[in-house]
Amino acid sequence: MSAKRIPRVGIGGPVGSGKTMLIEQVVPILSSRGYRAGIISNDVVSREDADRMRQNLATQKGLMAEDLVIGLATGGCPHTAIREDPSMNISVVEEMEEKHNDLDLIIIESGGDNITTTFSPALADYFIYIIDVSGGDKYPRKRGLGIESCDLLVINKIDIAPHVGADLGIMERDAKAVRGIKPYVFVNCKTGQGVKEVTEHIIRDVLFEFPPKAIAK
Amino acid sequence: MNIDKMDIQEISILQLSDSFFPTGMYTTSNGLETLFYSKKINNANELRDLIKVYLEHQIGPADCTALGNAYECADKSDLSKLLKVDQIIYAMKLVREIRDASTRSGTQLLRCLTSFITGNELMNQYQQAIKQGQAAGVYSIVMAVASNALKIPKKKAAIMMLYTFSVSIVGAALRLGMLQHFEGQRIIHELKPTILDTMINNIDRPLISMWQFAPEIDIIQISHEKLDSKMFIT
Repeated sequence: MSAKRIPRVGIGGPVGSGKTMLIEQVVPILSSRGYRAGIISNDVVSREDADRMRQNLATQKGLMAEDLVIGLATGGCPHTAIREDPSMNISVVEEMEEKHNDLDLIIIESGGDNITTTFSPALADYFIYIIDVSGGDKYPRKRGLGIESCDLLVINKIDIAPHVGADLGIMERDAKAVRGIKPYVFVNCKTGQGVKEVTEHIIRDVLFEFPPKAIAK
Repeated sequence: MNIDKMDIQEISILQLSDSFFPTGMYTTSNGLETLFYSKKINNANELRDLIKVYLEHQIGPADCTALGNAYECADKSDLSKLLKVDQIIYAMKLVREIRDASTRSGTQLLRCLTSFITGNELMNQYQQAIKQGQAAGVYSIVMAVASNALKIPKKKAAIMMLYTFSVSIVGAALRLGMLQHFEGQRIIHELKPTILDTMINNIDRPLISMWQFAPEIDIIQISHEKLDSKMFIT
């Protein structure tokens, strides 16, 4: 129940699609531009993702305080936790807003398949859905709430496309057909390729290019 | 068609008891997950007996009595005593995960209710007190205030809380793969007399007589906090 809402970005995607690695790439770029982020990770059955991000971004790189990476269990219902009953996520976001109102952004990560994953507008202001090419180039064409309704579609692991028989041209064509004018970005989170563009979308479409709070003071 | 107030109250009971109502309780197992992984609970009957222990030794004598007292406070618009009940039941919750889950559920329940129940002064004052850190917003207290606002009788409010608690544990067991769906409903059916007795035994007791004693469950719930791999918050 914080006084001021901090912009929130929801990042959803199937297990193994690269959500955690995308965050690990985006946060340092945001940080280099002066933007401070907090992270809430909805782990399905472990706290491995939250522990890894805390270790990487807070402990090793010193980009954030360790208590700004929070792991949240969802009772085996990650879709419910971000859509029809986001009570626990909202509580944790508000606790973070209360304790760290100087943050520019809160990132909420959650696993979820492409058919049913969406973020409640009460929880997230902007929704990034990430898939990877290993599921085949049919993925965008098969639609689903995640792929169709997200504000930004991210297609990861483009480096392995030739090895799994995925045609990026087909994925691009279908993404355009399914999403109309809504954007999509091809990335390789291992190398950072395309991640700057994802970050620019966040700065432009979520933060409206406002200067970081630390600088604006 | 003649719809009297009683009909509306009955529907309100259904609304607040429904697992569809957004309180986040599906994220909690109250330590059941630890018991499952350590193979200490292995079948539906053992689960039923465990829920009885929760009801008779934890939720009943503590939360149910707190709910009864909070309901009376709401009836008398006694904010100061309501805050006291909230603080005492919060302090009685020994395990951090359980404390946090209860207040997170409670505060979100309250927020949801105030989005459609407007003009209830005590409810608004209680919400303000939570914002200002004067109250924790424990689930059982919010349930009492909400039920009073919706004219749900005190005893039915307590049954609702005990029922939704029991259902949330059975739901967790189903998702853990401990039992199948018909067994879950059988357990809930068999727990009905315990739910009723627990309400009768605790709803009218004074605040000073609140207690809870289930040390083995406390230890299990504490152990859950340390699990590396877990599906549930508690």
